[in-house]
Amino acid sequence: MNRVHRSVLANGLRLAVVPIADLRSTSVLLAVEAGQWFEPVGRPGIARLVAQTMLRGTARRDAAAWASELDALGAVARLDVGAHAAVFSAQCLGDDLSALLALIAEAVRTPALADAEVEFVRGQTLARLEKDERDTRAVSDRAWRQLVYPTGHPFQAPAIGDAEVVRSATPAEIRAFHKSAIASDGAVLVVAGGTTAEAAKDAVGRAFGDWPKRAKPRDANYPQATLATAKRRVELVPDKTQSDVIIGWPGLPRTDPRFTAARVTNMVYAADTFASRAGNVIRDQLGLAYYVFSAIGASRGQSPWIVRMGVNPQNVRRAIEVALDELRKITAGQIAEDDLAVAKDKLVGELDVALESPAGVAAMVLEAEMFDLGEDHFERYPRELRAVTKEQVVETARAFLPPERYALAVAGPALPEALA
Amino acid sequence: MLYALEARHAPVVSLWVWYHVGGRNEVPGTTGMSHFLEHMLFKGTPKHPKGDLDRLLARYGAQWNAFTSEDVTCYFETVPKARFETALELESDRMRNALISVEETEAERTVIVSEREGYENDPSFLLGEELQAIAFSRHTYGQGVIGSKDEIKLMTRDGLYSHYRRFYAPNNAYVVVTGDDEPERLIEQAAASFGTLEPSHDLGEPPKAPEPEQHGERRVTVHRAGGTLPIVMLAFRAPRATDSRAAAISALAVALAGTSTGSDGASGRSSRLHRALVETGLAADVDASFQLMKDPFLFLTDATLRPGVKHADVERVLVDELSKLSTDLVAEDEFARVRRQLLASTAFNTDTITWRAYRCGQLLSTGAATSIGDWYAKLAAVTREEIREAAAGLFVERSRSVGWFVPEGDAS
Repeated sequence: MNRVHRSVLANGLRLAVVPIADLRSTSVLLAVEAGQWFEPVGRPGIARLVAQTMLRGTARRDAAAWASELDALGAVARLDVGAHAAVFSAQCLGDDLSALLALIAEAVRTPALADAEVEFVRGQTLARLEKDERDTRAVSDRAWRQLVYPTGHPFQAPAIGDAEVVRSATPAEIRAFHKSAIASDGAVLVVAGGTTAEAAKDAVGRAFGDWPKRAKPRDANYPQATLATAKRRVELVPDKTQSDVIIGWPGLPRTDPRFTAARVTNMVYAADTFASRAGNVIRDQLGLAYYVFSAIGASRGQSPWIVRMGVNPQNVRRAIEVALDELRKITAGQIAEDDLAVAKDKLVGELDVALESPAGVAAMVLEAEMFDLGEDHFERYPRELRAVTKEQVVETARAFLPPERYALAVAGPALPEALA
Repeated sequence: MLYALEARHAPVVSLWVWYHVGGRNEVPGTTGMSHFLEHMLFKGTPKHPKGDLDRLLARYGAQWNAFTSEDVTCYFETVPKARFETALELESDRMRNALISVEETEAERTVIVSEREGYENDPSFLLGEELQAIAFSRHTYGQGVIGSKDEIKLMTRDGLYSHYRRFYAPNNAYVVVTGDDEPERLIEQAAASFGTLEPSHDLGEPPKAPEPEQHGERRVTVHRAGGTLPIVMLAFRAPRATDSRAAAISALAVALAGTSTGSDGASGRSSRLHRALVETGLAADVDASFQLMKDPFLFLTDATLRPGVKHADVERVLVDELSKLSTDLVAEDEFARVRRQLLASTAFNTDTITWRAYRCGQLLSTGAATSIGDWYAKLAAVTREEIREAAAGLFVERSRSVGWFVPEGDAS
């Protein structure tokens, strides 16, 4: 990893710059603590509505003029709402960094949030929600979240939210969330690529230096998500040939000291279709699925820790049984030394390979900064991964992935037999 | 053919092997064979049994995969620089020595069926496959890549092996390496790995099934319950990658839909189709694409409609917008935006070592350019007049194919 140049603006915005020689482009990530975790209780989808409306005109320019300015730079940009943050991700040619940051700052700090633009975003969002109704991945994801998270929990719905919230959100509500959540406090800006630390710092100072400081509460207090038994839901989606399957559990905060062991456990179990146990058996040995992978979310809360599979309905039952069998072996301590070694080596090796792209570098730095993992994180992290023991993997799996207490959601064609 | 590019910003090397074999080399009854074969190349050789090198590459944190298109089958590994030899060992070994056993063929068949079934869940795939099929009456491009489910089920081990022995050989491949070393050194290492391999003596002539001129619009409608939003797709006959108009047509796609960052993307919103269809509330999403291909293929535009919007209304707007580009020069400021997006996106892609190697291989294997720099120069030289000329040549009613996806009620 090249040197990370860190600084903090007077308003609390944290900046991390990673100059990479020989690159023509620069990646920018601006994360504001305005993700699902910070949404008003019972209003899933508000954060995304705000984020999308921020892209539709500012106090200075209407939506078309702002879009033209962005395209005139040749830059690519998007604003996504995740479990923890709303993240502006962009890439521009190195010379355009200052202009790009100015445009991002305009959208973030002084969006128009005009009534007509709220209506436009509402229409687009409802169209997407309607599309999702027959999308097996979206249906399984929504069903799984409902099984796991209690009412009022920010992760009970996907980031796009509930149709009822999207329909009922008022422009005033949109403006209020922007005012409360979009702030420099807790925000992190990462710049990686063809720039210098000085040039990036100057450009950020010009764009965000006078963003007024405003403290905001960092952590909300949500009920714990727990699974007392196995829960299952099957959603029929007509006219499909494949079932999307999710087996999952509420995960652990990125700031939890056990998170590194959780990443290793995830890799041993199912993170990679080829290098992990579940994928190896389900796809490579039994030919039951084209894709099998698991993922563990990084947020301040219990993000989903899930295994996903695309399976023919005839094979759904067996694929689930095999996935759980492989997990039982892990919780029983049946982990080959080499499986553990491969998992750790892969996670460490991926850190080097990710350096090939400015976006990859920016993403790693953002996670470290957003969750206060420490200035020496990139030195410590490979060592910490390597230090994870078989006992820690077993303990982590038992604590977070109990094979008898899971939530299972299946979406797709009718299944030939009921799931036990 | 070996090609190397230096990329010093990270301690990694990306190795790509491009075989000149894909959907275009298949005949009815064996559609999907090249793609099936791609899967079988992960099933081991006598020297490296299945799983052997997979685990080694996993240990190195490698990014590695493969894909098959109508024109080519491609394998790549991006590895820490010190592990380049392992990537070379894997690729050179499986170029001529893949096992392709009967047992593994059977085991993989269900995986490939599962892959196809996953695609079938997507209404855009269903419509795109039908549209591509009607757009070609003779050329094998009409068959697509993954093959029909029935033909995947009928594929034999011997058929796959014979396809493999015929097309997987050094005299039918491009090897492209990009990474943290002198190009000469990278080529030297690659040459040592691939240079001694036995060539194929059975390559034969490239497939020749020229597509006759189209003399009238073709239409297809897909009625399914598996989607809720209507889709309109338009396909026009487009020239091959070596055509002098290829760069201008690439610019045309950007003028129509920008350089896409997905449906929630902030960029590309000044493009013509976004303004005419998304901003007006007719469509939730739009796209336009031109692929660099060996033979004349298609220029595609599509729109996913907002609920309640009629297909005919969106089709009319699409046709109108294409027609305007055929008759009027794009304005100076619009041209500046399009040009900037086109050139910047080239830099974005090639600043990642893996994608720099991919781009280079794509340009070389299709003949679009002799290098990334050559292609960049062609894009940079495109004029407003050339964009208009390209549009006028492409967007002709008689060479148009139109597809509608019509959502239906619950079919269960």
